[in-house]
Amino acid sequence: MNTHLKSGWKETGIKSVWLATALIAASVVVFILGYLVLTSIPIFFETGVSGFLFNSVWNPTGVVPSYGIAALLIDTLLVTFGAMIFAVPLGIICAVFLAYLAPQKVRDIVKPAIELLAGIPSVVYGFFGMVVLCSLLQNVLDIPSGFSWLAASILLGIMALPTIVSVSEDALYVVPKDYTEASLGLGATKWQTISRVLIPAAASGISAAVILGMGRAIGETMAVMMVAGNAAVIPSPIWDVLSPVRTLTATLGIELAEVASGSMHYYALFGVAAVLLLITLVINLISVRITKKIQSGGSVFSIPAQIKKILMLCGMIFAVCILMYALGIIPTLILTVIVFGLFFLRRIMSHKSIERTAFGIIYAGTFLVIGILFVILANIFINGIPAISWEFLTTAPRNMGLEGGIYPAIIGTLQLVGGAILLALPIGIGSAIYLHEYSRNNLLTRLLRTGNDLLAGTPSVVFGVFGFAFLVIFLGWGVCMLAGMICLALMVLPTIIKTTEEALRSVPNSLREASLGLGATKWQTLKKVVLPSAAPGILTGTILSIGRAAGETAPIMFTAVVFSKRFISMDLFDPVMALPFHLYVLSTSVPGSETQQYGTAVVLICLVMAIYLVAIVIRKRFQKRLL
Amino acid sequence: MTSILSTKNLNLSYGSKQVLYDIDLPFEEKSVTALIGPSGCGKSTLLRCMNRMNDLIPDCKITGDILYRGENITKSDPVLLRRKIGMVFQRPNPFPKSIYDNIAYGPRAHGTKDVKILDDIVENSLKGAVLWDEVKDRLHESALGLSGGQQQRLCIARTLAVNPDVILMDEPCSALDPIATTKIEQLILDLKKNYTVIIVTHNMQQAARISDITGFMYLGKLIETGKTELIFSNPQEELTERYITGRFG
Repeated sequence: MNTHLKSGWKETGIKSVWLATALIAASVVVFILGYLVLTSIPIFFETGVSGFLFNSVWNPTGVVPSYGIAALLIDTLLVTFGAMIFAVPLGIICAVFLAYLAPQKVRDIVKPAIELLAGIPSVVYGFFGMVVLCSLLQNVLDIPSGFSWLAASILLGIMALPTIVSVSEDALYVVPKDYTEASLGLGATKWQTISRVLIPAAASGISAAVILGMGRAIGETMAVMMVAGNAAVIPSPIWDVLSPVRTLTATLGIELAEVASGSMHYYALFGVAAVLLLITLVINLISVRITKKIQSGGSVFSIPAQIKKILMLCGMIFAVCILMYALGIIPTLILTVIVFGLFFLRRIMSHKSIERTAFGIIYAGTFLVIGILFVILANIFINGIPAISWEFLTTAPRNMGLEGGIYPAIIGTLQLVGGAILLALPIGIGSAIYLHEYSRNNLLTRLLRTGNDLLAGTPSVVFGVFGFAFLVIFLGWGVCMLAGMICLALMVLPTIIKTTEEALRSVPNSLREASLGLGATKWQTLKKVVLPSAAPGILTGTILSIGRAAGETAPIMFTAVVFSKRFISMDLFDPVMALPFHLYVLSTSVPGSETQQYGTAVVLICLVMAIYLVAIVIRKRFQKRLL
Repeated sequence: MTSILSTKNLNLSYGSKQVLYDIDLPFEEKSVTALIGPSGCGKSTLLRCMNRMNDLIPDCKITGDILYRGENITKSDPVLLRRKIGMVFQRPNPFPKSIYDNIAYGPRAHGTKDVKILDDIVENSLKGAVLWDEVKDRLHESALGLSGGQQQRLCIARTLAVNPDVILMDEPCSALDPIATTKIEQLILDLKKNYTVIIVTHNMQQAARISDITGFMYLGKLIETGKTELIFSNPQEELTERYITGRFG
């Protein structure tokens, strides 16, 4: 009886610990969202909602300040649209190759390699864009400046590619093999099988991949800021891809550090953050809808054939109009003739030659994707390795970073990431355990799940905005390590909760029932049966979060970092150096520091890649154990 | 009767594991041949040789000849071959498309675009699989909404739509309930009038009910083959007798 009582107290105690972590997580989520939205209210009183959204003049520091974000909004959409135009087809082509055409050995190497590329910090892509892409555009197109919509779209497209490839490939790979057999058994060619059965069957998963890639492009700050030219204008004419543009996120990245707290400009920036949250919300709602469709097995696009034809016709007319304006009538005519010629050719071509052409395009597309990613890495490593020396790794920077090394930045990054994980891990894992093991659907879990999903898709710069306004200014901490740790922790918390919950969900219920049926308590079951089975999944999620935190710039650049620091400090209220920020400042503000830039980029990539590699190895070993 | 399809000295191995040994088996036109035998005896593998579905499996090596109307199929184009030799699989596997699109899939893949012709093919195929009356009012609804038995008849209709010569069936009733099974068996007897059917089954009563010829396989070898009545009433081999009387392993 006595032992029974003891065990009861212990169980209650443990349950309250999980509840407490979940409450902390929920209140943090609610507080961030509330703080951002509430702080943005004054700007809406000043300009009105429509004045803020539809006025295209953004000039917050003018004599007569104007706070209209229409231009920023349109630029954000244009940049994202441009990125998707080439990332989506290329990504899907590459995914089809990996899922259906690549030999197993090639797939085993290329898939993780592409996933690894998703982990390259955005500041590194931005750096590559500045030194290689923009000057390339400038020389090839013979224009005064390569910093443009085109550059930003190309770069964002490249950044979104790994995500799109990886998630679409997953969707294609899990299409039941029965469909392939059925289709081939009916005498269809391999290409007919892929294009008419397998891709439509994976359409929901592929659209989820596209939405995810789009979310990544909209939320990106550093890379866009570094290559887009940052003029808050609507391109004129609207298809002038060489015009400089400025996105919502870049505006926050550029202006937040210089704004006077409490000014209308400050509130306007919070308005921008609120709009970004709203966009995230819309994207989330769409992807939730798609996921639901996937689970219920239906197709997302069940448009009747008649309407499909009309839509296609409208699209074609629209495209022709745009081309006519952009290129003139003669080139458009030639293009149209070519397109129709190809269409006609397809009809008279044999199935075999159609298949050969299609596979040729797929091989070429895949080659292009892998080539692009390879060129980026090769460029950075070839130029960066010579810059690395013992001195570079172990001394502090001198003379604006032109001499000396990056030792404090390496240590600072490790400190920030370590602190962030220490903060986020217990709360994240605890909340996930509460969500999945201890609660049914109640108000707290609904609140936490919804808020969490929203924060998971929120652009990282928004966490920087929150940290700057609340921790640095309102609490008066100033720019310091602790503020940076908290911002990074907030950023990775949703991912940790999500992946932990998924890992717990993947543990079959029969295991829990077996343990409980033998008279084990809930905590014993959790500790001895559930958590050990879920550990690899939890670990992978955590490691991926660490990698992401190590490469992020936007959340720490207003809250924790300084450009130069001679000494390592362990004081939480001192500012630190960090690798991503160091690379950002070197490449944007220190001319003549190419060697150091490349060196820093290599160190940063190696650090992040090493972290991701550990995650991939763990996952591989775990998958083998399951088989 | 003439044999439409026959194997000569057929050997097959997956990697280093040999699965079929020296199979010599003729199939007669417009008849039902059943292949029976315990699990793992190679009967499905043999069936999948007939329309080269084994091509999809890496490390699969085949020696010997398979003659279809006098032509060695190991050298022909598998895509063209499968239009002549269709297949129905163990589990119903309709595409996640409408009933209509499922049936029209094969003809479309072979280049039929005319909607009138397609409509006719869909109707005739569904009638051929005795499914028309059940689905004629919902041709454009998802095929996944049909019951298991209906889905399997849809898959048979889909095969008929390609207008094949031979229909291979790989345990087509193993995932179905008794009522649905009866309907499929009835259908197979109907199909015999126009098509050659080769069916793999591990249900001996089914083989006895629907087939004209039965082949018994064991451990990759064809032990005995002959008229179904004879195999079941007077088997020549002891292994066959032990299997059909249920005194096995």
